[in-house]
Amino acid sequence: MADVYTMGIDIGSTASKCLILKNGTDISGYAVIGAGTGTSGPKRSVEQALSNAGITINEISGITATGYGRNTFSEADWIVSELSCHAIGIHAVFPDVRTLIDIGGQDAKAIRVSTTGKLENFVMNDKCAAGTGRFLDVMARVLELDVSELAERDAMAENVVNISSTCTVFAESEVISQLSNNVNICDLVAGIHRSVAVRTAGLAKRLGIVEPVAMSGGVALNSGAARALERELGIPVRIPPLPQINGAYGAAIYAWEHRKQER
Amino acid sequence: MNALNRLKNITMNPKAELKEAVASGKKVIGIMPYFCPEELVYAAGMLPFGLWGAEMQANESKQYYPAFICSILHTTLEMGLKGELDDLSAVMIPISCDSLKGMGANWEAGVKNVPVINVAFAENRKIAAGIEFTRSQFRKIQKQIEEIAGRTVSDDEIRKAITIYNENRCAILAFSKAAATHPAEVTAADRCAAIKAGYFMDRAAHTELLNEVTAELENLPASDEGYLKIVTTGIIADAPRLLDIIDKNKMVIVDDQIAHESVNARYVIPEAEDPVLAMAERLAEIEGCSVLYDPGKKRGTQLVEMAKNAGADGILFILTKFCDPEEYDYVPVKRMTDSASIPMLQIEIDQQMTDYGQPESAIMAFAESLR
Repeated sequence: MADVYTMGIDIGSTASKCLILKNGTDISGYAVIGAGTGTSGPKRSVEQALSNAGITINEISGITATGYGRNTFSEADWIVSELSCHAIGIHAVFPDVRTLIDIGGQDAKAIRVSTTGKLENFVMNDKCAAGTGRFLDVMARVLELDVSELAERDAMAENVVNISSTCTVFAESEVISQLSNNVNICDLVAGIHRSVAVRTAGLAKRLGIVEPVAMSGGVALNSGAARALERELGIPVRIPPLPQINGAYGAAIYAWEHRKQER
Repeated sequence: MNALNRLKNITMNPKAELKEAVASGKKVIGIMPYFCPEELVYAAGMLPFGLWGAEMQANESKQYYPAFICSILHTTLEMGLKGELDDLSAVMIPISCDSLKGMGANWEAGVKNVPVINVAFAENRKIAAGIEFTRSQFRKIQKQIEEIAGRTVSDDEIRKAITIYNENRCAILAFSKAAATHPAEVTAADRCAAIKAGYFMDRAAHTELLNEVTAELENLPASDEGYLKIVTTGIIADAPRLLDIIDKNKMVIVDDQIAHESVNARYVIPEAEDPVLAMAERLAEIEGCSVLYDPGKKRGTQLVEMAKNAGADGILFILTKFCDPEEYDYVPVKRMTDSASIPMLQIEIDQQMTDYGQPESAIMAFAESLR
């Protein structure tokens, strides 16, 4: 029997993620492009994922689009919210996970996942950059670091600095003030991660924590932020192998399941 | 549906109604939320004209209010400051919430052509002294209205106005019930527009048009199969893009606890010898609105009952951004809906919003979780 390929594309505010799934289980290729909705990011992520999988778009039997820019992807067979896709994606990796915390570029979500991988309940952040990837981007710029360096710096922290401001703009001023007082950058980075963790843990507690807990989204690639969240919640937090493409993974599974039902 | 289209047209262009009324020689009084005694205006032969803000950017109003005040007040004040409401003979401004308490003074300072009629209710609106206070305030307001109208208003005229308003309230509820089973014919935006039109036109004419739509719907087979039934709660839910999102997700509003919609319609004014006392008694009866003192927290209980009675799949708590009373209410209401195992989603809206991405994702995910 011929292989069946499905595609999930998660078009976020700051990145486009595309994943190709073979026969509903095997990841044939994926791509993450650091450009989101309204840019060339979605198209490039599709091209790169297809290239990585070694197939053409004609071999794809179904496409699910998700994420903030989901409605702009005209090739989609299904359009599904990113919350449902994240629930499906994490269930495929960790079937026992009941709470998923997803921190993306511009928003954060706490998601209750049913025992069958269905979205049961959720809480989203306010329209505010605090506690999101954007907050870390802004802080990294002030510290003259790349976001990829934050985890390493966090690991070297000795005295975590308290960042008291919730607002990104005020927190940026606070960090600049600390820098001018020659505070250790590693300690500042750990403080920034704690600030994100406090905000996110509050969101998750509004939903109600049901263990096991997992974390997805681009921020989950930052082990410093993930450790800070674990400390704040007081419980272990699992990270899937590809946290940034968890939504696209769920979307591709959704496409597979629906094509299967049609056959 | 001609009647529905007529109502939608009025809602789309309320200023045309205002101009037309003024051109016909009728005086018009602006009515701000919440629960102003507009029956007195009607009884005086004038047109009460609802002022619930508008979808627009507020700039000049920020000289008078900080940015973190709800958009209903900001945009209403903005229209006043820009002279867009100069055709009004006066504006009724109540003091129902902390932000409204400053509205009268802000209006007087900035809007020179439209005088203010301040409206005060008793906070303890249910006790005898509270009812008497509200009655006495309404009688004072009646005097101010008489001055503007240039004539006295009799109790008989007030009774007639009350009858017309009570009939309108019943018409709104009947329409809402009929629309609940006909989402294919009446979208969420249509439903809102049909109710909202009443704020800009003669209430008797509004009743007539609404009843016509209801009768037409009642003769059609139900079209709600496959729709998720939802109940809405909040202050206002008239943003076209929000309502479009509700439609796109195949949801139908089966009942509402929205101050701008059915909360006002749910309570009729009892018949009484003193019609103004009856108006004060009606205010004492109203439940389900965060700006009215509610020590028993009956809003949540009422909402749960409404959802159960309507067989709702879920509730949308449509939070007006920066509305403190709504934020305070959310917690006990959420506890009650959780206890009743009724899913509820909170979304935040603002009349100055241009990006609906977050509510769109949240409503879509909510619909997916309910299906």
